[in-house]
Amino acid sequence: MPETATAKHITRAWTVNDPLVTVGDLKVWFPVATGLIQRSAGYVHAVDGVDLEIKAGETLGLVGESGCGKSTLGRTIIRLVEPTGGSIKFKGEDITHVRGGKLRALRREMAMIFQDPYASLDPRQTVGDIVGEPIDVHGLAKGKQRQERIRELLRVVGMNPRYADRYPHEFSGGQRQRIGIARALAVEPQFIVCDEPISALDVSIQAQIINLLENLQSKFKLTYLFIAHDLSVVKHISNRIAVMYLGKVMEVAPAGQLYKRPRHPYTGSLLSAIPIPDPAVELGRERVLLKGDVASPVDPPSGCRFRTRCPRAKPHCAEEIPPLETFGQEHLAACFYPLD
Amino acid sequence: MTQPLLEVQDLHTVFSTKEGQVKAVDGVSFELNAGETLGIVGESGCGKSVTAMSIMRLQRPGRIVGGKVMFKGQDLTRISEYEMREIRGREMAMIFQDPMTSLNPVYRVGWQVGEPTRLHNGWDAKKAFSSAVSMLGRVGIPSAASRARDYPHQFSGGMRQRAMIAMGLTTTPHVLIADEPTTALDVTIQAQILDLLRHVNREFGTATILITHNLGVVAGMCQRLIVMYAGKIVEAGPTRDVFAHPKHPYTWSLLRSIPRLDADIHEPLKPIEGLPPNLIDLPGGCSFHPRCAFRVDKCSHDVPALLRVGESQQAACWVTQSGTELKGA
Amino acid sequence: MIGPSRVAELDMPSAGIETGGSRPAQSYWNESWERLRANRIGVGAGALILVFAAIAIMAPLVSAFITHYQPQTINLDQTFAKPGSVHWLGSDELGRDTLTRLVWGARVSLGVAFLTVAISLTVGTSVGMLAGYYGGWIDDVLMRLVDTVLAIPAIFLFILMSILFRPNPFTLAVIVASVGWGAVARLVRGEVLSVKQRDFVLATRSIGARDTRLMARHLLPNVLPVLIVAASLGVGQIILVEAALDFLGLGIQPPTASWGNMLTNAESYFFRSGWLVALPGVTIFTTVLASNIFGNAVRDAFDPRLKS
Repeated sequence: MPETATAKHITRAWTVNDPLVTVGDLKVWFPVATGLIQRSAGYVHAVDGVDLEIKAGETLGLVGESGCGKSTLGRTIIRLVEPTGGSIKFKGEDITHVRGGKLRALRREMAMIFQDPYASLDPRQTVGDIVGEPIDVHGLAKGKQRQERIRELLRVVGMNPRYADRYPHEFSGGQRQRIGIARALAVEPQFIVCDEPISALDVSIQAQIINLLENLQSKFKLTYLFIAHDLSVVKHISNRIAVMYLGKVMEVAPAGQLYKRPRHPYTGSLLSAIPIPDPAVELGRERVLLKGDVASPVDPPSGCRFRTRCPRAKPHCAEEIPPLETFGQEHLAACFYPLD
Repeated sequence: MTQPLLEVQDLHTVFSTKEGQVKAVDGVSFELNAGETLGIVGESGCGKSVTAMSIMRLQRPGRIVGGKVMFKGQDLTRISEYEMREIRGREMAMIFQDPMTSLNPVYRVGWQVGEPTRLHNGWDAKKAFSSAVSMLGRVGIPSAASRARDYPHQFSGGMRQRAMIAMGLTTTPHVLIADEPTTALDVTIQAQILDLLRHVNREFGTATILITHNLGVVAGMCQRLIVMYAGKIVEAGPTRDVFAHPKHPYTWSLLRSIPRLDADIHEPLKPIEGLPPNLIDLPGGCSFHPRCAFRVDKCSHDVPALLRVGESQQAACWVTQSGTELKGA
Repeated sequence: MIGPSRVAELDMPSAGIETGGSRPAQSYWNESWERLRANRIGVGAGALILVFAAIAIMAPLVSAFITHYQPQTINLDQTFAKPGSVHWLGSDELGRDTLTRLVWGARVSLGVAFLTVAISLTVGTSVGMLAGYYGGWIDDVLMRLVDTVLAIPAIFLFILMSILFRPNPFTLAVIVASVGWGAVARLVRGEVLSVKQRDFVLATRSIGARDTRLMARHLLPNVLPVLIVAASLGVGQIILVEAALDFLGLGIQPPTASWGNMLTNAESYFFRSGWLVALPGVTIFTTVLASNIFGNAVRDAFDPRLKS
């Protein structure tokens, strides 16, 4: 059995101080299909060689613009998308290619919260069935116990347990998101991928959901991978932040550090592009406006992927891919000509 | 003082639904001065978009059931559809949230950008196209002459939004209404488009109504600001003053509930409790009172009017109108 | 898009629960049922089909207690009887009672129609679901098969089949369904492809559900509305196809009565006894019309926004 084989190879058992998730040189490519006969005209390099660690109990923020591969990375880590290459380790165990019963067992330890609270709940199911489905799938409880567990989960996310027999369309976006969170908690996971969980919500509701996620984290000792395009939200909720651009990680740093002293020019311009809700600050800010649009992930630029829009790019940037290098404690950036 | 360019007076727009009549815009009044950028902020359902649509008379299936929209001495709610068409696209232009669907996929971009001049100025195809090319260049489309021959799907989201702005500007309108123009765009592209809108405002002197839910966008763009909640204006005033000393509890708590990039890490957010109101069944009195931390008895019975509070602001709130300062932990 | 109307699209929030507290839970099915019930013409059409089906099922009782004739009893003394007290709807060239034959014919015509629809839906749904959900080579193989089936000129297939097997209602249903499932498979595949995109499918996979559960619990209920509409409209179409086959002599053979072969039989007496043509004709027409009206009503009930 391959499982026992890997178990033997681990010299030291995984402890809580080790990273919960370790991603090594992860690649996810999607074929671009053209024409009638499916002939691949190249690949979308959605995730293209990502190294990342997520520590137990932390929130790792993952930011980047649409198409940078952040959602694909999140989905690949919890094995909803097949990786093309590289490895994913969860609690020290290689899960890159586990399937069948082993994969289903893994599903009890990981969960996901989705962006769109409308599309992510089956409109034909009641709230109770939605929240109860993980319980049924894994045979965690039956009958009265199951009902009690569903009510408990709804209470935990701040919903009235009486709503278990209602349908999703009777609720507003924020409440639906709470239902989605209850479903994610049903298997009592350790690790949750939050894929833009508040982007689709009304402004006045966003803070409720952020606070809920923070409370649940400390209550259930959860580890989050928090994916978002809004750096102000990510900075608020994360311990560390990874910035992605065109399938690659450009910079990883503790949240405060990333904001105070970004080293990668992309991070710098991303920070300066985010409006601050305060005219006194906002009108006096200096902006680094980027030229043009993101390059195509089918045919990414040679060398550094950001060079086509980078204000600091030099000829060398086109020749070699800059590696992630250390800039102080826990601070990594992939740039030949970093910001000071 | 000079006459405002556009004056909305006590506008009421309703939608009929199965569950009853929805007052999407419920007595909204404001002025837009020549050359200024006015922000209208609020959450989905607050009526900000319907207000803009009603100004352009594009509110259908909603109906304008009261009020006036005064523009250049005429009431836009009363003129004929023919006269309104003459104003749309010529005097007032509108850009929308979704640049993916607001251009017609079967026509070349340059042809579409030139459409208003063919329609309103009676220009021939050639003249309209060359003016479209120059306008595309002015809004920052590189090699505009060749890109004008592209179809919309060959443009990225940011470029399409630039093309929409170019189309709006070809007839040098007096008013540009931008309805969530950057919501569908990435932040770096949003920064580009906002920069372009600032530039347009300066160069063309076009008065702009910027509708958004993003308080950060308003902070950097608008001189004046209107905050809407449940179909009504709850606060209005100069942007600086509203952000510094909000006079309506909704604005006050909204500003405290959003994470700021420049805030200290892990300073907990203070959310507004409860849910956005159901427009079909609004609470009595002030619509915000069930979620309001400052409410007094009166708030649940009587609807407050929008009155002057403080030096430069207006607010529809019994509490601040009586002189109470909004303060909290 | 199928689903309850989202007022949100008018830039308005959906109904909050503070106010909805006292309402009973509204499932999609309840709401659709309420809308269908409100459509009087649609309900009338559906009721008519139910009445016809009930009469068809009870044909032996109708023969025994109401008309007092058997469908194949020949009475050469009473040929071409006009509608009246002896034969309520007249009799044919062999003196057989028209009303009795119409009632027994309904058994054949409606029976074949319902059976055909049932077979087409079962096969078509399974194929469409597998093709749409798995995609890739499974989709390629299954959909090329569907293309092939739909490319066969149906009429030649029917002629060939009716020569090879002497059609009885059951084989006829199988023959017609052997072509009909293709369209259903395409329809279901298209729906599945669109439902599959929605995040709840990914969410269901993320909790570790098996494919079978995903298809049965999530995909099927979400494609069911289009299946129900297809079935209601399909019954009418199949009645027409079956009547046409009978008329051409490829379907149910005399002396077994079907609406189609009654029409063929009466053709020669068109000028002599017009009612022999008119009665099965009107019956077919009414049934097909009712089925179409009901199908449209069902569609409107499921998706009110398609209307207008």
